[in-house]
Amino acid sequence: MATNRSGAAQRPNGAPQTKVCQFKLVLLGESAVGKSSLVLRFVKGQFHEYQESTIGAAFLTQTVCLDDTTVKFEIWDTAGQERYHSLAPMYYRGAQAAIVVYDITNQDTFGRAKNWVKELQRQASPSIVIALAGNKSDLAAKRMVEFEEAQAYADENGLLFMETSAKTAMNVNDIFLAIANKLPKSEGAGAAGAGGARRLADGEQPRPSSCCK
Amino acid sequence: MAQSNFSAVDEYGFERHDDFDYESYEDFMSNYLKVLATRAQKWATLLGEGKSVKRTNTVKRYVRKGIPSEHRPSVWMAISGAEKMKDQCPDLYQKILDGPFEKELVDLVKTDLPRTFPDNIYFTKEANHQTHLFNILIAYAHNNRVVGYCQGLNYIAGLLLLATKSEETSFWLLKVLVEKILPDYYTKTMDGLIVDIEVLSELVKSKVPDVHQHVINLGLPWAVITTKWFVCLFAEVLPIETVLRIWDCLFYEGSKILFRVCLTLIKANKSDIMACNDFTSLAECFKAIVKNASALHCHEFMQSIFKVPGTLSNATIIKLRARFAKQRREQQQKEQR
Repeated sequence: MATNRSGAAQRPNGAPQTKVCQFKLVLLGESAVGKSSLVLRFVKGQFHEYQESTIGAAFLTQTVCLDDTTVKFEIWDTAGQERYHSLAPMYYRGAQAAIVVYDITNQDTFGRAKNWVKELQRQASPSIVIALAGNKSDLAAKRMVEFEEAQAYADENGLLFMETSAKTAMNVNDIFLAIANKLPKSEGAGAAGAGGARRLADGEQPRPSSCCK
Repeated sequence: MAQSNFSAVDEYGFERHDDFDYESYEDFMSNYLKVLATRAQKWATLLGEGKSVKRTNTVKRYVRKGIPSEHRPSVWMAISGAEKMKDQCPDLYQKILDGPFEKELVDLVKTDLPRTFPDNIYFTKEANHQTHLFNILIAYAHNNRVVGYCQGLNYIAGLLLLATKSEETSFWLLKVLVEKILPDYYTKTMDGLIVDIEVLSELVKSKVPDVHQHVINLGLPWAVITTKWFVCLFAEVLPIETVLRIWDCLFYEGSKILFRVCLTLIKANKSDIMACNDFTSLAECFKAIVKNASALHCHEFMQSIFKVPGTLSNATIIKLRARFAKQRREQQQKEQR
């Protein structure tokens, strides 16, 4: 499987100290729920009160270290407005992970998040790891979506779930780490069915199906 | 203009970030100021004869070499046909603004106001451009119900506002862009956008086949790279002076110009693109090529868009658009069955 690739660090040969895994992660959710802000917090540790609206999609990378594995995320941050929906499959196709984001102060965005989850369950890779993020938890005074309600929904659907705040950084690294932990990193696991979208470059040799050998 | 090349804010009010390359910018400006001076004189002569700007070969040539910023509002209105539209309903803008407005549209537009050019001093809460931008976008959303409000229009209207300093002029230019110059990029299904991305892909395939193959091999769809290019007409993509020079031609020559710019970016940076050997570096490469020195040197860049891509006829674009639109309709019909 070409999708999970060996990191350059461990090549050409020899036993690496840590495994390096690369995963494609996509953020989905209604406009202005904080998708770009979560990414900005995770990748650069920054927060802007007024984050520019994303057109099309933005691409960033970030690496997290687990005990014995380095996980490199290729992050696709998408536009939220409904009419950009027809472009979304391009971004979640071949993704091994998704964060579906809603705004805890806006019930409609939770409904939209559920639709995204349904679409991913139907259309994305069967092994995709989906996390639900109830963002803007710093605005709990204006809460419209109860924690328990979202937790129950996540449990029913086998999703990771956290309430997050890109503003205060609460649970931002945690949700990415939780995803990294849940992603299959052992030989032969996980990537089955998730990849295929990305072909190998000219001259690039096909590599074994596992990213972490 | 351009007195501010050492200021922390550019002549359009954008803050220059810490990584702003003053040296490259000074290098660019030292030459471009001479161009601007020459062009200013030429335009003064042209407009000084009291003639209104008509669509003649001389004007077309002048437009390609850049419209001086002080003349942009009136020249854009004249060459695009927006002036004519306005003459047919001179009170339209004011009438729409008398309201009433639909709450749903108001909420949509308001969400994006503080998220449009937050790094521009005129678009801060304290400045007044957010109010002007609201008026333009809400008026247009009510005027064209098929489009309503589409994200991306905020950047176009915002830049029109910065360039023309007039709400009403910006409204008419937005209207002419969406309804006359561009295919249906901003409607609810964005069909025209999706078709144009296919058209571009086909043009790259025929004009720079090795780049096309390489990008496909690395698994990056053209839509991922170019959606923002088309939707924002390069606003928030290329350096601002370059964007305005592109818009000069866009208002005169139409949407074909967008393909010329896309093809130039791809062809002129071919070696950088071909040097990428994985998906990540390719995605980063496409971010870099819109910010490099050749993208900044707008005068040379605009000369190159008429050379680098080679021949590109309107007939070709029309034919390709028809082909991919048909394919898309057939695809949609299949899915419905």
